[in-house]
Amino acid sequence: MIRFLVKRLGWMLLTIWVVYTVSFFLMRSVPGGPFASEKKIPPAIKRNIEARYKMDRPIYEQYFSHLWSTVCLDLGPSYKLEDYTVNEVIAQGFPVSASLGIFAMFFALSVGLTAGVISAVYRNSSYDLAFMLMATIGIAIPNFVLASIAVVLFVFVWPIFPAAGWGQLSQIILPAICLGAPFAGYIARLTRTGMLEVLGMDYIRTAYAKGLGTHQVVVKHALRGAILPVVSYLGPATAGILSGSLVLERIFALPGMGSHFIEAATQRDYTLAMGMVLIYTVLLFVMNTLVDLSYSMIDPRVDVEG
Amino acid sequence: MAAERKPMSHRLRKIFPYLILVVGVMVMIWAVSFGTLPRADFAFNNGDEIQTVDPAKATGVPEGRIINALFEGLLRQHPLAVEPDENNIVPLAPTTRGVAENYSVSEDGCIYTFHLRPTARWSNKDPITAKDFVWSWRRMLHPETGSQYAYQLYYIVGAEAYNLSQVKVGDPVEVELADRKKPQQLFPRGTIVRGILTEVDEAAENFSVEVKTEKDGQVDWEGNGRPRHFTKVTAEQPGTGERCHHLLPDFESQVGIRATAGDTLVVTLNNRTPYFTDLVAFYPLYPVHRKCVEKYGNPNWTKPENIVNNGPFLLDFRRIRDRVRMSKNPAYWNAGIVQLRVVDALAIKSQTTSLNMYINGQLDWTTTVPNPIIPDLRDRADFKTAPMLTTYFYRLNVDRPPLDNRLVRQALNMAIDKEKIVDKVTKAGQLPARSFVPPGLPGFQSALCGAFDPQRARQLLAEAGFENGRGLPRIEILYNTSEGHRDIAQVIQQDWKKNLGINVILRNLEWGTFLDTLGETDYAVARSGWIGDYADANTFLDMFVTHGTNNETNWGNTDYDHLIAQAGEEKDVERRLEILHQAERILMDELPIIPIYFYRSINMVQDCVEGFSANIQDVHPLHLLRVTSYEE
Repeated sequence: MIRFLVKRLGWMLLTIWVVYTVSFFLMRSVPGGPFASEKKIPPAIKRNIEARYKMDRPIYEQYFSHLWSTVCLDLGPSYKLEDYTVNEVIAQGFPVSASLGIFAMFFALSVGLTAGVISAVYRNSSYDLAFMLMATIGIAIPNFVLASIAVVLFVFVWPIFPAAGWGQLSQIILPAICLGAPFAGYIARLTRTGMLEVLGMDYIRTAYAKGLGTHQVVVKHALRGAILPVVSYLGPATAGILSGSLVLERIFALPGMGSHFIEAATQRDYTLAMGMVLIYTVLLFVMNTLVDLSYSMIDPRVDVEG
Repeated sequence: MAAERKPMSHRLRKIFPYLILVVGVMVMIWAVSFGTLPRADFAFNNGDEIQTVDPAKATGVPEGRIINALFEGLLRQHPLAVEPDENNIVPLAPTTRGVAENYSVSEDGCIYTFHLRPTARWSNKDPITAKDFVWSWRRMLHPETGSQYAYQLYYIVGAEAYNLSQVKVGDPVEVELADRKKPQQLFPRGTIVRGILTEVDEAAENFSVEVKTEKDGQVDWEGNGRPRHFTKVTAEQPGTGERCHHLLPDFESQVGIRATAGDTLVVTLNNRTPYFTDLVAFYPLYPVHRKCVEKYGNPNWTKPENIVNNGPFLLDFRRIRDRVRMSKNPAYWNAGIVQLRVVDALAIKSQTTSLNMYINGQLDWTTTVPNPIIPDLRDRADFKTAPMLTTYFYRLNVDRPPLDNRLVRQALNMAIDKEKIVDKVTKAGQLPARSFVPPGLPGFQSALCGAFDPQRARQLLAEAGFENGRGLPRIEILYNTSEGHRDIAQVIQQDWKKNLGINVILRNLEWGTFLDTLGETDYAVARSGWIGDYADANTFLDMFVTHGTNNETNWGNTDYDHLIAQAGEEKDVERRLEILHQAERILMDELPIIPIYFYRSINMVQDCVEGFSANIQDVHPLHLLRVTSYEE
C-alpha cells in the first residue's frame, strides 16, 4: 500500500506541474489583464503597478519565480483582493465549500443508498417506480434549475429557509440538497442495479437457505457487493460536487471556492486563479486515490499494489 | 492481482465500514461546527467584494461605500437639505463635516488652507494632524504605491512630477538608499538623502547628486554639498554608484502639500480648480495612520486586528466574498449622530439573489435590481430611483471608414430612437441623452446633438455619398457580454437597418477581452459608460482631448483641446462653464461618441430605514442612516 501511495504521489506532483505550466501560459495568453478597467489608468501609473507585481519582467522569469514560491507553498498576493494573499483566500473559502460538499455528499449517499436498496428489494413495486422516477428527474434537471425551484418553494411559498447567505446552519441545507440531488439519483440507480445483480447470486441464495432474514441478508451480505459501483462512482461524484458548487455558490451567495474561482477567472486575478486550479487538481487527485484505496478494502479481488 | 492476502489488510477490511462511519460522523460534526452569526442592525448588499479598504488603492463604487464608513477626509459629501427638490433629489456637496473644521481659499483660487478639527481622533485615540494628510498624500503619490487615482492629486504643484519620477539636472531631489528592512512594502522608506541632481543618464539608472547637509529635517539648500554617485537596484547594467531605490523630486520643497502647523494644512494648486473640494471629499484622498501602515506593512495593516482608521465605523471582520462587518466607532468626533451599531455590507453579485434576500428581510438595502422586473417594482414606495452623473454611450472609431465621415456619424446618431431604448429596454425611467454631460450640474448648460429624425438622417447619409446606405460596409457593434447591452445593441441594429439601410452585426466579448479591444481601438462601434468622478462637467469633457488616456476613439480636435485647457485656467466661474459648453458643442457636432441615455441610480430600501436620500452621485453615507424598528 505504501508503494502505491508513493507512486501516486509521484504522479500527482507531475500532474500538478503540467497543470501549473499549462494554466500559467494559457492565463496570460488570454487578452485583458488584472489591471484593465473601463476607466483607463495612465500608462505611467500602470507601469508602477505592474512593477509592484513583477509583471514588467520577462514571462519566463515570472514563471520561474512564481513556480518557486508555489513549491514553497506560498501562492503569492491576490491581484484583485489586494488585502489578502491567495493562501488566505483559500483558507477562508475552503471550509465553506468543504462543508457544503460534505452536506451534499451526505444527502446524496443516505438518500441514494436507501432508495436504491428499497427499490431493489421491492423491485417492480410502486415504491420502486416512484423512487426511480424521482432519480431520473433528479439526474435530468440541472442543479441551478432545481435551485430556482427550491427557492420559490421553500423561501417564498413555504418560508422555512433563508433565501441565501452564509453564517447559519439553515443557510447550508437548501444549497446542499440542490447540489446533492442529481448524485442521489445516480447513486440510487447504481445501488439498485448492483443490488439486483448481487441478489441473484448463489451466496445470497445460500444465506437465505441457511434461514437468515431479509434484513440480515441485505445489510450483511448483499450490500457490500452491491455498493462497489457506488464507491467507484464517488471519485467522479466528488469532482462533480466540487465543480457543481460553482454555480450554486453564486445563486445562494456562498463565499466558497467556486465563487472565488469564477471571479478570479473573469477578473484575470492570475495568482488566485492559479491557486484555485492547483487546489482543485490536488483535491481530485486525493479523492480518486482514496476511492481506489477504499475499493480494495471493500472488494477482496482488488489489490492496489498489483 | 496478488493471490495471497495479508492478515493486516484483512483486519483492516473488517473494520473498514466502521472506520468510514466514524470518519463520516466526525466530518459532519466539523461541517456543522461553523458558528452562527447574529444579524447586524443594518445589512445591505454592496454588490461585489471590495478590492481593498486602503483609500489610496481602491477605485470602485463598492469600495467607496466601505471606505466612507471607515475613513474620513478633510471634507465630506453631505446632503445640503432635508427635503428633496422637485426631481426628488437632495443635492450633495463637499462640506466641512469631515476632519477639517473650516477652510479658506486664496484670492487666485490656488491656495487652500484647511484647519483641522481639534476633536478629530484616530480609532486608537491619536489626534489627527495635518502631518497625517501630508504623509498620506505623499504615500499615495509615491510610485511604488501604484495608486490608480494618483492623478486626482495632479492639480497640486509638483505632484505629477513626483508621481511619475520626473527629474532633470539642477532639480532638488530625494534619493532613497537601498537599506530598507522589508524590501517589498507599500511606501517603503529606507534612508532618504536630499540634494541637487547634477548628472543623470538616459534611463535614469545612474546619476549623481550633490547631497546637501541636513539638520533637524531642514536641508541647507544654499550650503555646499558633497557629490555622490548612485545606481538604481533595478538597473539593467550593474553600475558603480551607491545602490538606491528611487530618484524623485524633493517632496518637501517641490510639492505643494505642507503642514504649516499641527492643525493647518496648506495646499497649493497649479491652476484654479473649482472642483478641488469635491476631490478632497472623495475617498482616495482620505488619510491613513502612518504608524499603523509602517508597523504592519502592506497588506497586513488593513487586517481588522491591525487597522487604525478615523471614520464613523470600525472594521470588525471581513469574510471574503461574503461580508464586511463594521461597528460604531466611539472615538469618531461626531459619534453622536451615528445610530447604527453594527452594519453588514454583503458582497452578493447575483441581482436575483440580492432581491430575494431583500424581499425575505435579510437585507435592508439592495443596490441592484434585475432589469426585467423593474416595471413590477417601480411603483413600490421602497423603490428609490434618481438621475445619476453617469452616461451610457457608444464610441465610434473615427479612423475606420465610413465612421471617419462626420456626416455618417451624425446620421447614425439621428437614426437611433433613444426614447424607445429607455421605454422598452432599460425601463427604470432613464433619460434619453442628447449630450454627453448629464443634466443636474449647477450652472452648466449642455450642448445637444441631433434628435431622432430618420428623414434628416437619410439626408445626411446621402450628403456623405451613401444614398440609402448604398456603398456602406457592414458596421460591427462591440459590447461586453451582458443581456442589457445586447438588448440595446439590437434596438440600434434594427434602427440603423430600418432607417439607414445599414447592415449591422453584433459582437460580444467577455469583459477583460472587451477592455483590451477597446484600448487598442480595434473596433468600429463600442458600447461604453462613464461615471463622473466629481460634480463638474470637466470630468466628462476632458477625457476626449487628443490622445487622452480614456479617449479611445482616435478622435482629436485642436480647438477642443484648446478649450479644455482654457477652462482649466479660467478664473471666472460663469465664463469657465461657457467655455466647457463650447467644448461640448464641438463634441456633439463631431460626434466621436453617440450618447444613448443617462443612468438612474436604483436602490430598494426597507421602510424602517430613515435618512436615505436620493442624489446624483448615488452616495449614501452609512452614518446618516437610521433604523426605526428592527424586524426579527
